[in-house]
Amino acid sequence: MAQSKRILIAVDESENSRNALLYVADILGGFPGFIIILLSVISVPEVDFFDSEEARKEWIREKHASLSELLERYRQVLIQSGFPDSCVLTDIILTKDRPVSSVILEKQEQYDACTLVVGRRGVSRHEEFLFGSVSSKLIHMAARCAVWVIEPVCKSQL
Amino acid sequence: MLMEFSDEGLRELASQWVESARLPKLFKIYSDTTDYYRIDYDDVVLLGDRPYLVRNNEREGRFGIDEQQKFWVKRAIDLLDGSRKIIKLVFHERFKARVGPLVFDCTRSPAKETRVLQLTGTHPNFMHGFGVQDAVSNRVRVIDFVYGKKLSDLIAGMEMEHSVYFEEVFPGIFERYLDALEAICFLHSNGELHGDIRRDHIIIDRETGVFRWIDFDFIYHHHENRLGYDIFGLGNLLAFLVGKGDATVQELRRVRPDLFARIGKSDLNIIFHNRIMNLKKIFPHIPDRLNSVLMHFSAETEVFYDDTRQFYDDLREVMGSLTPS
Repeated sequence: MAQSKRILIAVDESENSRNALLYVADILGGFPGFIIILLSVISVPEVDFFDSEEARKEWIREKHASLSELLERYRQVLIQSGFPDSCVLTDIILTKDRPVSSVILEKQEQYDACTLVVGRRGVSRHEEFLFGSVSSKLIHMAARCAVWVIEPVCKSQL
Repeated sequence: MLMEFSDEGLRELASQWVESARLPKLFKIYSDTTDYYRIDYDDVVLLGDRPYLVRNNEREGRFGIDEQQKFWVKRAIDLLDGSRKIIKLVFHERFKARVGPLVFDCTRSPAKETRVLQLTGTHPNFMHGFGVQDAVSNRVRVIDFVYGKKLSDLIAGMEMEHSVYFEEVFPGIFERYLDALEAICFLHSNGELHGDIRRDHIIIDRETGVFRWIDFDFIYHHHENRLGYDIFGLGNLLAFLVGKGDATVQELRRVRPDLFARIGKSDLNIIFHNRIMNLKKIFPHIPDRLNSVLMHFSAETEVFYDDTRQFYDDLREVMGSLTPS
């Protein structure tokens, strides 16, 4: 039996992430042979941003809870679009000093995903200069996999 | 340990460094520095086992705007050894930093500055000092006063043609800028940021001429490009030094309308669209390699520096193309 192909979708609470998810659901939903990994990366601000370590831990807890809920909702969307329950996985990872794109690429390797999917926010050049762009970084740095960058116009009609 | 100092004891100590006639009859002593507005000239701040005689509040001004007092930053004299200090008291500030059209969260962190002071130790390119907790655990920073001129003031005082500046003065400035840049590489490689890189946050040490970074208590959080704001500051600083000041479209239109007519959007700073980054268009004697580095900070650049060490390495290669001073 052919091995299932793994598709990693990097999501956060943004609309463009939702578009990316719906695109995958639309294009691949119901087709056998795919395992979808929904990945969220929590980039934790420096400890100096918080009034105390307790405040920092509380921030992480709340963020984790909120993303867990989101990932479960997205998981259900994929299941309803035809993916078997056991073929939709979720993962949340914390990072402190590393770019989000690096963490995503690391997870792509860990899961041996053949395709990375990410929504494109459409940052301006000067935003990208100062803040960086996850999708741009993934396009440039991803190796041994395909990268799908989903523009807002590609969103599903579902 | 909080030592006790009597009024008489403090007077005896203080009279070693300040004329007795100028000392107050009674000293107000603060071991709790929370209310920094109340701490004023001639008061004594007690931190651990050291008393500091407070002098003026520090002032800061930019771009010709009148200097504003920073009430949480005091000039002081260490009464035990007479050394001049800057004492930074705790001021929790969270604000939206505005850089051109971009806005992001920024916070002032005594803990971060203390960490950086500890990390940099006696590194010649940084201000030196230490963190100490006051009687109610406020994290106060005691910093050795840096004698010297701000880099911004040095450049402002350069009254000469750019070609003369570039040939005779800039190589020496550039060499010292590279050392200061390498110091930021050191910070970054140790997981720290400066947080507020600007031309008036470099003091030129009066004795050594070394460029010394000051004021690194700001912190920001960008989840994808952690070093971006620091690198942007370094690029702006480089343009300021290469151009012998800011090369703005307004000034160019005023003094050289013929050159102004040749400036397009791609020649401008990626965020500050009134500043010219393609300085070779104004100063043709600027080497191509140096200008190429500047153009990585221009409005239509396709390639950004995302690592300070890359930026440093590129500039190190430029050194050879400059006339030695």
